Amino acid sequence: MGTRLAGLLLKETIQFLRDRVMLFLILWLYTVEIVICTLALSFEIEDMPLAVVDLDRTPASREIIDSFIVTEPFALAGYLASAAEATSWLQSGRARVALVIPKGLQRDLARGDTPALQLLLDGTNSNVAAQARGYALQIVGRYQSRHSIENVPAAGAQPVVRVWYNPDRTYTSFMVLSMVAVAALMVGVIYPAASIVREKETGTIEQLRVTPISIMELFVAKTFPTLVMGLLAVFPSLLIVWWFGVPMRGSLLLFLALTGLFLLSAIAIGVLVAAISRTQQQALLLSFFGLFPMMFLSGTLAPVESMPEALQTLSLASPLRHYMDVILGVFLKGAGLTDLWPQAVTLIAIGVPLFATATYIFTKRSA
Amino acid sequence: MNLARVAAVIEKEAKEIIRDPITVATALLMPLVMLFLFGYAISLDVEDVAMGVLDQDRTPASRELADRFVRSGYFRLAASYGTAREVEMALQRNAVKIALVVPPGFQDRLAGNEIAPVQLLVDGTYSATANLVAAYAETIVSQYRGDTAPYVGVEARVWYNPSLRSVTYVIPGLFGVILLAFPPLLTALAIAREKETGSIQQIFASPITASEFLAGKLMPYVLIAFVQIVMVIVVGFLWFDVPLRGSLGLLLAAGLLYVFCTVGIGLLVSTVTQSQLAAMLLALIITLMPSFLFSGFLFPIFTMPYFLQLYTRLFPARYFVDFSRGLVLKGAGIPELWPSVALLLLYTLAVFALAVWRFKKKVA
Amino acid sequence: MVLAQGSSVIEAEGLGRRYADNWAVQDVDLRINKGEIFGLVGPDGSGKTTLLQLLAAILDPSSGRCRVLGYDTLRQASEVTSRIGYMAQGFTLYERLTVAENLAFSAKSRGVSSSLFASRREKLLAMAGLGSFLDRREGVLSGGMRKKLALCTNLVHEPPLLLLDEPGLGVDPLSRRELWRMLEAFGAGGTTIVLATSYMDEAERCDRVAFLDGGRIIAMGTPDELRAGVDGAVFSVRSNAPAAVEAALGGARNVLSLQWRPEEIHFVVDPSLGMPDELRVELGRTGRVEATVPSMDDVFVARSRSNDKEVLAKPVVLSGPLSGGGRDVPEQSVETRELSRRFESFIAVDHVSLDIGSGEIFGLLGANGAGKTTLIRMLCGLLPPTGGSARVAGVEVTRQPRFLRRRIGYMSQRFSLYPDLSVGENMAFFASAYGLRGRERRDAVDRTADLTGLQGLADDSVATLSGAVRQRLGLACSLLHHPAVLFLDEPTSGVDPLARFRFWRLIGGLAGAGTTVIVTTHNLEEAAYCDRLGLMHEGRLIALGDLSSLRAGLSGLAANTIEDVFLAYVEHSDEGAVAGGEAR
Repeated sequence: MGTRLAGLLLKETIQFLRDRVMLFLILWLYTVEIVICTLALSFEIEDMPLAVVDLDRTPASREIIDSFIVTEPFALAGYLASAAEATSWLQSGRARVALVIPKGLQRDLARGDTPALQLLLDGTNSNVAAQARGYALQIVGRYQSRHSIENVPAAGAQPVVRVWYNPDRTYTSFMVLSMVAVAALMVGVIYPAASIVREKETGTIEQLRVTPISIMELFVAKTFPTLVMGLLAVFPSLLIVWWFGVPMRGSLLLFLALTGLFLLSAIAIGVLVAAISRTQQQALLLSFFGLFPMMFLSGTLAPVESMPEALQTLSLASPLRHYMDVILGVFLKGAGLTDLWPQAVTLIAIGVPLFATATYIFTKRSA
Repeated sequence: MNLARVAAVIEKEAKEIIRDPITVATALLMPLVMLFLFGYAISLDVEDVAMGVLDQDRTPASRELADRFVRSGYFRLAASYGTAREVEMALQRNAVKIALVVPPGFQDRLAGNEIAPVQLLVDGTYSATANLVAAYAETIVSQYRGDTAPYVGVEARVWYNPSLRSVTYVIPGLFGVILLAFPPLLTALAIAREKETGSIQQIFASPITASEFLAGKLMPYVLIAFVQIVMVIVVGFLWFDVPLRGSLGLLLAAGLLYVFCTVGIGLLVSTVTQSQLAAMLLALIITLMPSFLFSGFLFPIFTMPYFLQLYTRLFPARYFVDFSRGLVLKGAGIPELWPSVALLLLYTLAVFALAVWRFKKKVA
Repeated sequence: MVLAQGSSVIEAEGLGRRYADNWAVQDVDLRINKGEIFGLVGPDGSGKTTLLQLLAAILDPSSGRCRVLGYDTLRQASEVTSRIGYMAQGFTLYERLTVAENLAFSAKSRGVSSSLFASRREKLLAMAGLGSFLDRREGVLSGGMRKKLALCTNLVHEPPLLLLDEPGLGVDPLSRRELWRMLEAFGAGGTTIVLATSYMDEAERCDRVAFLDGGRIIAMGTPDELRAGVDGAVFSVRSNAPAAVEAALGGARNVLSLQWRPEEIHFVVDPSLGMPDELRVELGRTGRVEATVPSMDDVFVARSRSNDKEVLAKPVVLSGPLSGGGRDVPEQSVETRELSRRFESFIAVDHVSLDIGSGEIFGLLGANGAGKTTLIRMLCGLLPPTGGSARVAGVEVTRQPRFLRRRIGYMSQRFSLYPDLSVGENMAFFASAYGLRGRERRDAVDRTADLTGLQGLADDSVATLSGAVRQRLGLACSLLHHPAVLFLDEPTSGVDPLARFRFWRLIGGLAGAGTTVIVTTHNLEEAAYCDRLGLMHEGRLIALGDLSSLRAGLSGLAANTIEDVFLAYVEHSDEGAVAGGEAR
């Protein structure tokens, strides 16, 4: 048993190191893709082109406009004369948001009336629009509390906001960690699937089946190199993570151990795909078919909480979702095993039946 | 170009595709799966955020404040806590996304016209929603004050998508994404497979010219991709109730052009790779991933660093996403949208020129 | 047509093709006339395929020039490709399309009018015997039928020139016979045919043959001329002490190959040097030496320059019992009783009962789809039988499959090896797969490499090996653990004659050391190497015995060649049954 397994492992390792296409893919996913995505992808709005229509032209209106322009989310696209002009800018995409200040703003404020600012938003990207609206409310709210304190001795409730785990509220930490998780998933699924099916196609699997090698030994041999490589490939990613300034608040060892568990469950999916498919084309199509929904259901791009109930339940079956808890927890929240043991148990609970099914199908198909 | 020969290649290719049930199923199911997934799963809307409350004041004023959070519609009271430690644990465990801490003496300070600080603890791991949550919470607290202060109202009017539904913006973008994600994947295999089985040699040693062969290969996949786009459009408009403000005819016409473009990219990938595996992985990197991530479909392009904004221009999805959103949501027509269409046309022509140039009727 | 009557269909001058620093084809001057059947033979990697691709204008030459049908293959490639028929090696039709659809695609892509196509189709289908399979998918046809169909698709436009790359590869003797009938019919009608082949009986049927080695044509002429060129270099020895003869030949320098035939040892010496006198004297002491009329096989052996002669002539010496685990092996190595296998409604193996003794070489003959491979797969424990029983090397096949696997070796049709591993890595891997470790493994690898002539190739990548070396490696990998029973499924298809002779000498040596060898083959000549033969047809074992008893069984029928014997039994078995059930 030991000799056969050692021989298989050696063979797998050599083959893995010689597979240039696969090595390139792994390297790409674990490094370039992570960097590009982290740099580029963000739902935070920044420099959103803002058109301003100031019908009041008073110090009060200018102060409001300034408080918009100095903030990060908005950048001045231009001053316009009328709301109609703002409309055409929105239509053509030159501006994505327009602020219209009504005539008599300063006068109304002095009188104690409640004047209303108009905010025209391009809602084509609803996430962006919602955030812009949120920011606008915040800016106006702050303007107001500033003035109520100055002008009126009577003051009210004062919010003190503290953002935990990610005080700068940047999207970077989330994105970089999420892309590491996605890379691990892709490699964990695609490599074992492709390498097992390739043996089916070249017929070597039949040659193996006349040797005393058992299916379990074969599976272990296909699993182990992917696992080791998946763990090793995490290190360059860790460098990237560090370069982006993401803190590591938890234990590295715990992270690696749970990453191993996650890789095992991803590999189990790959092995299952291999058991079902006959050709590489089928294996790859099936992998993609499974991978993409999994990616989007697991909170790698958008939070799971904002999905409908049914999909949230469905996402419990995805190992990636639990691994997202792990990776965000360890890095950003400093979570330990006491917090993350449910995730660990779930990853095992997902991987074991998948392996069992794959073994069953494999034994049955090849009989 | 001899049309009879092109027709022969089309017929042959179409029959082969139809007899590969896994491929046909993938081609037809995948876009629908994606459509429903994105329609329902990708939403950054902030609604019913789980909120925890640590009320150390326990007065009518503090209860009223907590109440206002719930009434705003953005927050849902998940739990009340007795100690700061409990609040911390709840955030750690992901049980709540935000915690409101009202310190003792809140009501007294308000009554005494003093500033009454209130703590908002926000889980910032997912910054996009954290920002929104914080902004809404802050606004609610700021507005909870004495009635004497003058008040600036904000009347926000959202155009094109007044209810800010994610679906409304996701679906028109998805047209562009799905058609770059899947047709090239299938098409890339088309020539690579013939190379692997050797049947391509039979084509080389025949009167069929390179462009006839490519054209014949192209058409069945264009048809599949066009069926996909029609399917996605129909389901998008009927099931998800997305408004169509522009012209359906124009959308379909540009869709057809776009389909030629994406299928052409698949053929191009096919001509440069020798094996199916390599063709597929190349397609993954140059079409599937960028179509989701760099088309402006989910992630706005204007927030990207400049050189990555240039990178997005490499992929045709961005032009079609612009076009499709403009047409569907803003009701724009050719006068506004011609630049996107022109770029798509140029792109398509370049892809075909490259593919024909790369494809030689030679074995080496 | 530009071509004037009587002029050459192919004219090549100094034609060459280089890949990186390697010349695959070099300095080829060739004139092929209208209506000729022209054969290209040569060892693996000698450039046959490259030359055909150059002639088909689907590969640009690196040097020289070539005119095909009057058109230059570089500048007027499309004129060439639109006229010729070209059949590549392997199966290159569309397996998801039916027979009719493949034909129709070929006709349409060549602009054959539908009325013309209809009449030609009937004629071609009738010739190929494919008329009743019109709606079958190409992928489910037998190898022979696929090849015949491929030929038909290349004949629908009645091309003046037909280029064929190994048309007989992987095709059973019956189909091969039909394939040739078609070729000769078209050849008689004026079609020029150029084909590459590794079957010397095919070369024999050509009008002229060019012998390629290392990318160059080293001999060209009619088969008779070629044979005349090696006259005096081919001998046979009849002796009562074959071992002494083999030792004498193995020690001699000029001997290119030796071959065991029934009752005699056949050998070829270097034609330029002739038979050394001392060898003649030495052989004269042990037996009777006679000069023999050379066959095309002998021509092949004598002309192959690039082969390493040291390895070729070296006798197979087996040190110690090869069947290490064979001490407790019973007298009967393989025993089947009413063994059957059905796939849904199709019966692949139909009540086969067999007894094969230790050390026997047992040959399974039969057309494609006769059930040979299914039978072997059952005996290896790869496929459970649906009826009957089988014991192999004393182990019940269905009961203890893992125990069985330690005692058998199996080499499948495709020599399934890992193309991305080196020769040494493949062997080391398979050794450890059988549980060999450390010193034991090194010894096994060294000894087997030595036996199969793979010394010094340990670091070569399998992907770059020629078919013949790959085949020896496949054999080596299934021998590492001293199997008591060795199963070889078409081990020599596509392998040139020289490599084939060598391979069979190896097999003979193994059997001599006690290993039971069960082998399937399409090459009926190879039946001569087997101790006993089983003929399979439509899943049944229709005849069993050694060659002479099989001949004797055909009372009153003149059956000279093995092929005649085989066909006679098949016809006999088919009497009363509906003919033509070749499809799998």
